[in-house]
Amino acid sequence: MTSGVVAVWSHRTTLRLLVRRDLAVKYQQSVLGYLWSLIEPLGMGAIYFFVFGLLYRSATHRHLGDAADSYPLFLITGIFAWMWTSSAISEATNALTGQARLITTMNLPREVFPIGRVAGRFAEYVAGLPILAAIAVVYATLGKIDLGVSLLALPLAVLLQAILLIGIALLLSSLNVLMRDIERLMRLVTRVLFYATPIIYPLALVRDSGLPGWVKIAYEVNPLVGIFQLHHSIWYADEFPDARLLALSVGGSLLTLFVGAAVFRRLEPAVLKEL
Amino acid sequence: MGEPMIEAENLGIQFVRNRRRNLRLREMIIHRGGRQPAAGMFWPLRNVSFTVAAGDTVGIIGRNGTGKSTLLRLIAGVLIPDEGRIRVRGAVAPLLELSAGFSNDLTGRENVHLVGSLHGLSPSFLRRHFDEIVAFAGEQIANAIDTPVRHYSSGMKVRLGFSVIAQLPHPILLMDEVTAVGDADFRKKCYDTIDRLIAEGRTVMLVSHNENDLTRFCSRGLYFDGGRLRVDGTIREALDAYHNVVRP
Repeated sequence: MTSGVVAVWSHRTTLRLLVRRDLAVKYQQSVLGYLWSLIEPLGMGAIYFFVFGLLYRSATHRHLGDAADSYPLFLITGIFAWMWTSSAISEATNALTGQARLITTMNLPREVFPIGRVAGRFAEYVAGLPILAAIAVVYATLGKIDLGVSLLALPLAVLLQAILLIGIALLLSSLNVLMRDIERLMRLVTRVLFYATPIIYPLALVRDSGLPGWVKIAYEVNPLVGIFQLHHSIWYADEFPDARLLALSVGGSLLTLFVGAAVFRRLEPAVLKEL
Repeated sequence: MGEPMIEAENLGIQFVRNRRRNLRLREMIIHRGGRQPAAGMFWPLRNVSFTVAAGDTVGIIGRNGTGKSTLLRLIAGVLIPDEGRIRVRGAVAPLLELSAGFSNDLTGRENVHLVGSLHGLSPSFLRRHFDEIVAFAGEQIANAIDTPVRHYSSGMKVRLGFSVIAQLPHPILLMDEVTAVGDADFRKKCYDTIDRLIAEGRTVMLVSHNENDLTRFCSRGLYFDGGRLRVDGTIREALDAYHNVVRP
């Protein structure tokens, strides 16, 4: 475990190179280039705003609390963070299979490949932050939200999300080499996760619902729930997760990282033979 | 001299034939526990022990499928042994696959910078030596340096790959059938470079089926058969053992 951390840290230049290369390849043949990483979430946000902000307006507003008057900001905050999650998961899954040629000719710590995918999508998330900040400033000047200490939830949310995503990336990338089914399975799982996480709707909607108690508990075991509550609490202090939810999120993320790293270690010899 | 550069101790690695098929659900149900666990397992290399001193030039000889390339991969650290140990003191410059790890979607120029940097060359070194690298690879590549590598012929990829690897200051050089590709003109450049690297005192391990190459560059020979190291001696002894098997 520690040797893995040391190896990755000593190869951070490699990590940067791989991320730069991924971004270059990704945007090389598109006219709008990196703007796509903004257009996509903004487009998704517009769709959900149409459905839940306009068509189901009254139902949505009842549970939003502080966010009732600034639902677009609530949406975009969640969707930007979700784009990082979903694209990191899908791209990390084939981080090893897709770069087999590089991995089988060069002696680099293999961890850098999945971690690089998470880092690359994080770079896109950061590129979207100015847009998010601009929207927030507009709502703040209109007096709909208060900017304050709650902004500190952002670094905490990002840190937790990075830990969780790296864990997932290590786990899935190595498993996918031995079972290509993972790639397909994850397409379905990410779709489920999108609706099973308070991204476009507030957590209060689930808590106040008539769902049986065990469903509510199972729902909150998902570490993404706490992470997305943290994201929303950047602007809406009343969304800040309670102690139990925060503990579940921190514990779940760290556990995922340890399990992911252990599985990666364990499967590494077999993965190298299989590539 | 001091400590050996490469030290293999009872080295072994085990492969599974058709692992993916074994994992399929249908087979898991049909053969549930019915098959011997050892079925489909084989050892491409086993019980291999040798040491290579600094400045040695070693030719690795054997028929196809006797674990020569697997050995180079183990030395390069891109495979992890199941048995025994391999210790390598010093950085390794590997030319294992013809492509040298190029990404097909990037141009030749981007790949030179990427692969060079991944091997530990600094950006300023690469900028200073870029023209030299491209000139070495030949005119055909100089003209295509800004087109994606997927449009390159396999010969062109090897030439560019070799040009980058030849710039590495690493003390250990691994080459797998490099001289088999490329035209006569490029082969001559390759020979000159390998001569220069050997003269600098680098440790070279060469896999080849070309007897002229082997006798020209190598003083030592390792002859492999059936995943075992049969002869560890001069290149002549290793070649003789090889010929005894191939043409008895």
